[in-house]
Amino acid sequence: MATEKGKQDAGKQPTKSAEKADGGGSSGGSSGSSGGSGGGGQGPDYTADNIRLGAAGQSMFSMAAGVGALGLAAAVGLGSMAGDGFRRFSLSYVTAFMWVLTLGLGALFWVILQNLVNAHWSIVLRRVGELIAAQAPLLAVLSLPIVVPIFMGNSSIYIWSNHEAIQHNHLLEHKAAYLNPTAFLIRFVVYFGFWTLLSRFYLNSSLAQDSSKDPKVIMGKMRASAGPAMIGFALTMTFCAIDLLMSLDPLWFSTIFGVYYLASCVLGNNSFVALVAMWLNKRGILSKSVTTEHFHDLGKMMFAFTIFWAYVGFSQFMLIWYANIPEETGWFKERFEGGWFGGWGMLSATLLFGHFVIPFFGLVSRHIKRRRPTLAFWAVWQLVMIYLDMYWLVMPTIGEHTPGPPFALVDLACAVGVLGVFIAGIALRARNLNLMPTNDPRLPKSLAFENI
Amino acid sequence: MAAASDFNPFQAPPKGDNTFAQITDNVTRIMEAPKPPRAWYIAMGIALSMLTMFLGSITWAAWNGIGVWGNMMPVAWAFPIVNFVFWIGIGHAGTLISAVLFLFRQNWRTAINRFAEAMTIFAVMCAGVFPGVHIGRPWLPYYMMPIPNQMGMWPQYRSPLEWDIFAVSTYATVSILFWYMGMIPDFATFRDRSTSTVKRLAYGIVAMGWRGSSRQWHRYERAYLILAALATPLVLSVHSVVSFDFATAQLPGWHATIFPPYFVAGAIFGGFAMVVTLAVPARQFFGLKRIITIRHLELMNKVMIATGLLVGYAYGMEFFISWYGGSSYEGFTFVNRLFGPYSWAYWTMISCNVIFPQLFWFKNIRTNVWATLLIGMIVNVGMWFERFVIICTSLTRDFLPSSWGYYVPTKFDFMTLGGSFGLFFTLFLLFCRYLPMVAMSEVKAFSPAGGHARPHLHHGHDDAAHAHH
Amino acid sequence: MSADHKPQAEPTAAELHGILAEYDTPDQLVSAAKQVRDAGFEKWDTYSPFPVHGIDAAMGIKMTILPWLTLGAGLTGLATAITMQWWMNAYDYPWLISGKPIWSIPANVPIMFELTVLFSAITTLVGMLMLNGLPHPSHPLDLVKRFGRVTDDKFFLLIQAADAKFDEKDTRDLIDATHPVAVESVLEDRVTPDTFPPGLIYGLIVVTCGALVPVALAVKARHSKSDKPRIHLIQDMDAQPKYKAQRENPIFADGRADREALPGTVAVGHLNEDDHFYRGRAQGGWARTFPSQVDLSEETMARGKARFGIYCTPCHGQSGLGDGMVHKRADALAQGGWIQPTNMTQEYVRLQPVGELFNTISNGVRNMPAYAAQIPPEDRWAIIMYVRALQRSQAGSLNDVPESERGSLK
Repeated sequence: MATEKGKQDAGKQPTKSAEKADGGGSSGGSSGSSGGSGGGGQGPDYTADNIRLGAAGQSMFSMAAGVGALGLAAAVGLGSMAGDGFRRFSLSYVTAFMWVLTLGLGALFWVILQNLVNAHWSIVLRRVGELIAAQAPLLAVLSLPIVVPIFMGNSSIYIWSNHEAIQHNHLLEHKAAYLNPTAFLIRFVVYFGFWTLLSRFYLNSSLAQDSSKDPKVIMGKMRASAGPAMIGFALTMTFCAIDLLMSLDPLWFSTIFGVYYLASCVLGNNSFVALVAMWLNKRGILSKSVTTEHFHDLGKMMFAFTIFWAYVGFSQFMLIWYANIPEETGWFKERFEGGWFGGWGMLSATLLFGHFVIPFFGLVSRHIKRRRPTLAFWAVWQLVMIYLDMYWLVMPTIGEHTPGPPFALVDLACAVGVLGVFIAGIALRARNLNLMPTNDPRLPKSLAFENI
Repeated sequence: MAAASDFNPFQAPPKGDNTFAQITDNVTRIMEAPKPPRAWYIAMGIALSMLTMFLGSITWAAWNGIGVWGNMMPVAWAFPIVNFVFWIGIGHAGTLISAVLFLFRQNWRTAINRFAEAMTIFAVMCAGVFPGVHIGRPWLPYYMMPIPNQMGMWPQYRSPLEWDIFAVSTYATVSILFWYMGMIPDFATFRDRSTSTVKRLAYGIVAMGWRGSSRQWHRYERAYLILAALATPLVLSVHSVVSFDFATAQLPGWHATIFPPYFVAGAIFGGFAMVVTLAVPARQFFGLKRIITIRHLELMNKVMIATGLLVGYAYGMEFFISWYGGSSYEGFTFVNRLFGPYSWAYWTMISCNVIFPQLFWFKNIRTNVWATLLIGMIVNVGMWFERFVIICTSLTRDFLPSSWGYYVPTKFDFMTLGGSFGLFFTLFLLFCRYLPMVAMSEVKAFSPAGGHARPHLHHGHDDAAHAHH
Repeated sequence: MSADHKPQAEPTAAELHGILAEYDTPDQLVSAAKQVRDAGFEKWDTYSPFPVHGIDAAMGIKMTILPWLTLGAGLTGLATAITMQWWMNAYDYPWLISGKPIWSIPANVPIMFELTVLFSAITTLVGMLMLNGLPHPSHPLDLVKRFGRVTDDKFFLLIQAADAKFDEKDTRDLIDATHPVAVESVLEDRVTPDTFPPGLIYGLIVVTCGALVPVALAVKARHSKSDKPRIHLIQDMDAQPKYKAQRENPIFADGRADREALPGTVAVGHLNEDDHFYRGRAQGGWARTFPSQVDLSEETMARGKARFGIYCTPCHGQSGLGDGMVHKRADALAQGGWIQPTNMTQEYVRLQPVGELFNTISNGVRNMPAYAAQIPPEDRWAIIMYVRALQRSQAGSLNDVPESERGSLK
């Protein structure tokens, strides 16, 4: 599929710059690694490991920023050419944005969760998660093309933002207390403000811990805040998903929608972190610290959340199918147009088999989870599937005259654009930082653990 | 090991690290003791009388018909189904502790997993009684199974109630298999420490001749992992299927897509509450305080806050969407829950499930044994009321005001509910007396002397990566 | 641990089962195992109270095939569930339930999942037991007293004499080099049989067959016909002390329990003499006034409005114009043959006396069914009061509007 190739292009370095980066990375690393000191112990000695991004980051930043900017520009161009008031562009952009948002929010969820349950295995990778989560402000900026029209009351895709459109629909009038531009603006500020503050807190605390004399104090703070943070996260993520995805069809509703989005966040995060870690290792970064055991655990979570996504999706679908109430079933009816082999129905079937059945059998084996090439394959696969899931959620809004997914270049451009800028943001933020929490008291266990 | 006459078998052995022998002693002496502690007899007496009440009230209902209960239109499904969901929910904590915490490498589970699994099995048995008796003609349960009959008819697989049959049977079967498998090595320990021939023969038969061969341990460990990996989605599916009983209907207050994960979270919440309610007296009276420590109680209390908040999230989402969806029926249902004739049940539920467990944010409360016991019992009450609110309140006032009614349970309803605790506690007390209450082999494996405090299964080609010392 | 065995002279090689070494800690066991593995032995094993970390690698134990058995069983369970549900509900006895497809795949998913797990789990346990050779009733090690602590706190290593590389002295030296706490010779157990006693096996077979007898009888009974009445365990429900419709009642000559009302009798309270109130008739024609029992008050009007809303508006609409929901739907379906319900504000209905309206409600007219069974007479009169108000609302003049309101109409 077009978008799959786009993802591969944006997500993986072409081999020649990898070779350049290797040389740059290892020389940069030997000076950087001395920055980490305490906490070393029983496991493999990581102090000889390269924990800095170095030149590899520089080239990734340039490439991602370049591709991202190009993608966005192309998307805007294609959007204006459609001559529909940027409606097609907006739908495409929402899809891409909500896709990339799963990665950012997934990382934030992961960081909070690892602190909440005092997980040891993931300490090695926690900094990577913190850096991804710290892109919250960038995501806020990236969301502007779709949220600004809402604030202005003339979004072409969120019909509830338009005061006149509400007048003749008594249900929309009823919901107007929640679905209106001002209330949305306040909520938007709350969501991204909360995520920004929280991700900053975790990243900065974690960085401070690297050079702190008493790392346990910071560890305690991060752990103690995790409980309330998780509550806030659950609410903000749920309502953001409701605001930006569920309200595209403002007459439809589902109580499990927040959980559905969360499933994609967790699956996306585990896949993305696995890919990032593999990319780093290929450039000689963290290659002694991140072991097969960590990838196995990431793979297990990918497997588990493939199943969880299917469970949530099935619950949502089956309950609505079973009760057969028209105000709920209409949403699914749109998405099954054309049966199993045509139109939207084929995309639904693709999600059932491609997002669940096939990856289930792919990820069940421990051999596959413990080998990087195979795990990487499934990570990329699932990231593409999450994109298609977002597409399936968003694009039918386009209208009755479109019987099937209208895949077009603007979709690819948006996806590549948003993802490119996101990755560039991570690479930029990670410059000159330790990519591993070197002073965390739990680090030795993370380095040395073994799997079942 | 001191001579049997030297010590009180139900007090914890003297301080020191748990060596393997001490662990064996601590648990086996319960079985070796000629008589259980007096508290056991008192508890058994109470449990047996409640069990008698249970059997009596069920027999009365079967003989006279369902009319002896308060079930009446519009609340045709009342206490029996509330009790069923309540008990199944309690069972889920055991599987979570056994299976899910195992997969997450939470080694602290080894102190409590055995009796949590026992609790699961007994809770599922209690739960299973209710569908059996509330169908009105309990002598025809085979209609629900795919057995050829003279009418040439088959079960109706589109019905969530039929899914329940399969889900609960599978859950009961898998739980029993998992529990039994876990006990094989401990039965072997009991066999080798038995003080009488009868005991030795009995434990020997169920131990199947287990001698601790490493080759056998290898397959055993693999089977344990597989069963844990199977039990995890199973436990999610069972309470999801139970939630489908309600969510597939069109009734406002029942039909919400969030019901499956909501019910699962609630089940774990209520189940852990029951585990701590049992753990506190068990460790006290059976001298297991050094195996089931305050730390274990604290960790369980933390799980309770987490699942309690998940349940609170679900309450919030239901409430929000009932307004957002714009359906006047849904909106009314929630207004009715808060302010209608059953609002007392709703507010009991909220205070027990959402408010009281927040006390566990405070470390000194969650490490306090009495507070743990008290809040555990409060949560059990709250979770029972949650099912009552969902089921009965929604039925009393649905679409047509002409169909509205009020539900009043009869004394037989209460006797059946209370009596079910009798069945549960009788079985549980028998378990405490005769079966290994703690998974000795697992506790030993994860004790400091047992080697590394993490599972050891090695796959052939990973050996090169592991540094052994 | 079993029956005493006869004391022997020096154990000869033919009677030796193997050499058993005992250790105190798991680490000692692991290092000993490595040495034995490296020495090339094959018929040997280690024993411990719990699975020892690192022992699999130290002994060179290969991964078991158990996961494959589980996978196969799981797929079998899945296939069984799909086939069973399809065959039973969609093929052998197709059932249409609430309009769902005859083969309702989404509804079949839960059971598909459950059977997959059930088959997998049972196979895993039974497979594990079978692969482990359990139950294993007796073993020469049972004769070694020290070995009883294997389920408590000690660790053991056994090399069998049957192994090709076994040599009494060399193997003994190898074992000594691993620094065991104790070493023992294990003798073959010639006394305890290593199979189950035949009596036990026969007993189990008999018991199992015996247990199947009631089941077989039940199956036979379910598939055979009988001219005897059913056996009723619970008497109350099946044999209720009352006469039901279509049953026998021996008191009557014709034996029927269904009886007609005796001719010339009226049930108590149902005489309904008042023609005006009960039938809308007065002075030989339709009543032109409301009966005296009806209180022409605000309450009656409100009651009439409410009852009109319940019973009449579906067809006649809120204003009585004949544009109710039923009409709108039938009109939209346009299936032919639908006649619009009467617009009761038309002149000819306005001119009908209240008694005639009463008769219409009670007995129906043309396509309208009789409502006498649903609406008590008091309510019918209340409805008529409201209908009159509706009629007046469509046929009023300016004089009908109160003075104070007239200004707003202009």
